[in-house]
Amino acid sequence: MKWLAANSTAARTWQALRTDPWGLAGLAVILFFFLLALCVWLGLLGAGWAEASGGRWQGPGPDHWFGTNMLGQDIFERAVFSARIAFEIGLVVAVATTILGAGLGALAGWRAFGFVDDVILWLLGVLDSIPFYLLVAALAYAMQGQPLAMYIAMVFTFWTATARLVRAEVMRIRNQDYVKSARAIGLPGWRIILRHVLPNTSHILLVQGTLVFVSAIKAEVILSFLGLGVQDGVSWGVMLAESTQEVIAGHFGNFLAASGMLFLFLLGLNLFSDALQDALEPGSARLRSRLFKAPA
Amino acid sequence: MLTFARVSRLLALALSLFLVSCAEESPAPAAKESRGSVYRHAMDGAPTNLDPTQADSIYANFFAVNLYDTLFRYKYLARPYALEPNLAEELPQVSADGLIYTIRIKPGVRFNDDPAFEGGRGRVVTAADFVYSIKRHFDPNVRSMGSWLWAGKIVGMEEWRENGADYAEEVPGLRALDERTIQIQLIQPFPQLAHTLTQGYAAIVPREAVDHYGAEFSLNPVGSGPYRLESFDSARAVLIRNGGFRKEPFSLAREGFNPEQQSGLGLEELEGLTPPFIKRVEVEFINEDAARWNALVAGEVDFIKAPVSQLDSLLSSRNPPTLKPEFAEQYQMDASLESGLVFTYFNMSNPEIGQHPDPEVDERNRALRCAIVKGFDWQRRNEVFYYGIGQVFPGIIPPVTPEYDATQSFDYVTRDVEEAKDLLVRNGWTEDNLPTLEYGMVSGVTDRQMFEQFRSFMADIGYPTDKIRPLTFASYGDYARAYQNREIMLITLSWTMDYPDAENTIQLFYGPNASPGSNNSNYDNEGFNQLYRSSATMQPSPLRTTMYNNMNRMVMEDCVAISGLSRTLVLLWNRDFTMKPDRSFVGGSYFRFVQAPGDPDD
Repeated sequence: MKWLAANSTAARTWQALRTDPWGLAGLAVILFFFLLALCVWLGLLGAGWAEASGGRWQGPGPDHWFGTNMLGQDIFERAVFSARIAFEIGLVVAVATTILGAGLGALAGWRAFGFVDDVILWLLGVLDSIPFYLLVAALAYAMQGQPLAMYIAMVFTFWTATARLVRAEVMRIRNQDYVKSARAIGLPGWRIILRHVLPNTSHILLVQGTLVFVSAIKAEVILSFLGLGVQDGVSWGVMLAESTQEVIAGHFGNFLAASGMLFLFLLGLNLFSDALQDALEPGSARLRSRLFKAPA
Repeated sequence: MLTFARVSRLLALALSLFLVSCAEESPAPAAKESRGSVYRHAMDGAPTNLDPTQADSIYANFFAVNLYDTLFRYKYLARPYALEPNLAEELPQVSADGLIYTIRIKPGVRFNDDPAFEGGRGRVVTAADFVYSIKRHFDPNVRSMGSWLWAGKIVGMEEWRENGADYAEEVPGLRALDERTIQIQLIQPFPQLAHTLTQGYAAIVPREAVDHYGAEFSLNPVGSGPYRLESFDSARAVLIRNGGFRKEPFSLAREGFNPEQQSGLGLEELEGLTPPFIKRVEVEFINEDAARWNALVAGEVDFIKAPVSQLDSLLSSRNPPTLKPEFAEQYQMDASLESGLVFTYFNMSNPEIGQHPDPEVDERNRALRCAIVKGFDWQRRNEVFYYGIGQVFPGIIPPVTPEYDATQSFDYVTRDVEEAKDLLVRNGWTEDNLPTLEYGMVSGVTDRQMFEQFRSFMADIGYPTDKIRPLTFASYGDYARAYQNREIMLITLSWTMDYPDAENTIQLFYGPNASPGSNNSNYDNEGFNQLYRSSATMQPSPLRTTMYNNMNRMVMEDCVAISGLSRTLVLLWNRDFTMKPDRSFVGGSYFRFVQAPGDPDD
């Protein structure tokens, strides 16, 4: 990695990742799905997800690799198209959650124990007191009919964890010498946060972003399964919902394709986020290692 | 970090789950052990309210007609449906002008014992109870769901409501002449009146119970029907035989037995026995198809409506539907056309697709609607969603009605993609100027699949797929509110008939019934309206049938709806039971005739 400065965080992270085979396997899985999604975006794959190109519940064959569903739609096309939906939802929700969580978390941490912090902590407490999936489902239900209902519901629910972590980190950073120096020379608070504080929370944002990415995909599947998620399109959740009527009749195409791809993708994401966390926060890996070795 | 061993264990677990899910399911022997005279009935939905004024669903209607008495019911076995006196002594006497109905009720019929009555003993049902029960529908405090059945039809009823709904005040058109005689005076002839008196809405309730239980009356039914309620919650209801129910021996001839079609059901054994036969009915509310099916296979219930997704493994042939031998050993089956239809309305008040004051635009819109109708593939819809055993028919008069014309042309429901494309081209419709269609639906798998299928049909006639969008609603209530507010362009509905007369579906297109009334297409054709007004007061006759068929043709010529199909409902029950079940509004009172194995008339 010549283009990474030898001592930079990115270089150190990459060095750590290289030595973690499970992390690399996870990265390979993510890249594979990213390639699938890219092909769908470019129109090379999945374009016929809505076409009823075959007969009802056809088995796997050269024309339909994973068979067809009740309407005669190609299950492979639908499963691949769903990879794009998963990426879109994961990315949009992860990015929006990170921005909102980082912004409000940094503000709370910078103004710790003041009025602004109290208000943000109260909001976090209220939102966290409601069971996670219940809140997402309730919001999605309440906003149904709005094109971005599912995204808004997820962002509204997921930002709290990021905000709490960032707040704690900012409270630590704001007492560092370099921040005190910046204050001493008269830099405004917002500028210190943006230029000197938030960049130093990037390791948290990166790890938290990957976790939100995973959660968003899982939440989408659950919401779509309940009929509250993707409304005009297809996703693994929609396919699983369809499969509930099919498996009792002995047709497993939708179920296997959606659950298989979801399983593989989430496994890859979890392996990668685990490895990333270990690479960015070596202390946490050592701590886990000690915990696992501790006598009962 | 995950270790290899942990990942291996995870994969092994996933594989085990997969293998378990793939295990082949076969029908387990149904529970054969004796469990007394108990019939366990699975319903695919549940009522939320047992007050007859709220009996607006098949599920609520089932309870109303079994817990309460209605003046009339339909014969158990006769098809087409035929009226039979229930609490009434005989069918109504109707005056020559069709305006006055006189009905005598049976003597000595008592309400079930209940604390609501003095001394806890049920009293005799009188004509005044019927008058009270119908008046309740017009009491604004009751918020009846069924008042529409008689609104604007009974002399003085509207005035009674406007004057404050005082039950002590007499309604001139609804009177108890004596203890047992009811007289109904109509504003204009209403030939379907006797049919409306079979419904759960027309169930007879005692005023004492309504006063005693107040708001709780909806959960504490007190009637004189063949059963009384033992318990009721969101998962199940238990009905117990009303031991004091009137003794009327079962007669095959009176119930319309047809030996050619019904000889294999063992119904002949019931002749002379006294219903209700079953001592205890346990109704399980099971929404999920898979759960309902599994409950039957495991012997946990005795009756289900078979899920369409299961028909492939259940039937050995479709025409006629026949059970595979392994299922026929354990179950009886009834595959009958529903009393209703499924169809899709165009919202005719929408200027982009409906009627338009500018004749040129109006004609173009008509051509667009007709192109969509011609592009719709009813055979495929039937094949995919109804296992190919539904009956496709042209227009709005379902095959189950006596007015249905089986000889009419089927062009309206025969797909012709080229003609559809030609219609669009000839009327200047192009991909650019076609309107964006908003297809309303309730969030759910089947509705979504129907939408996707509709969109693929339209793609075949050149309609851009990005111009056909779903308009999704979280619940049926939200959906209904939207189409009643005329906010949806395409409204897909199923209609279950309230009575077996084609008037019940034709009124869905009568201009004055426009939304928020029952005409959700908002179709308004003066010629149609005139015919409807004329035929609505006529007794059944060849002339009335001709008028109905003319209205049917008008709806098709104007392409007001993509219609229609009547579903074949496959009902399955444990063959130890002797019965002919019926899942429609008009057939809900059959519980009393269900006979359990080895259950003599005791």
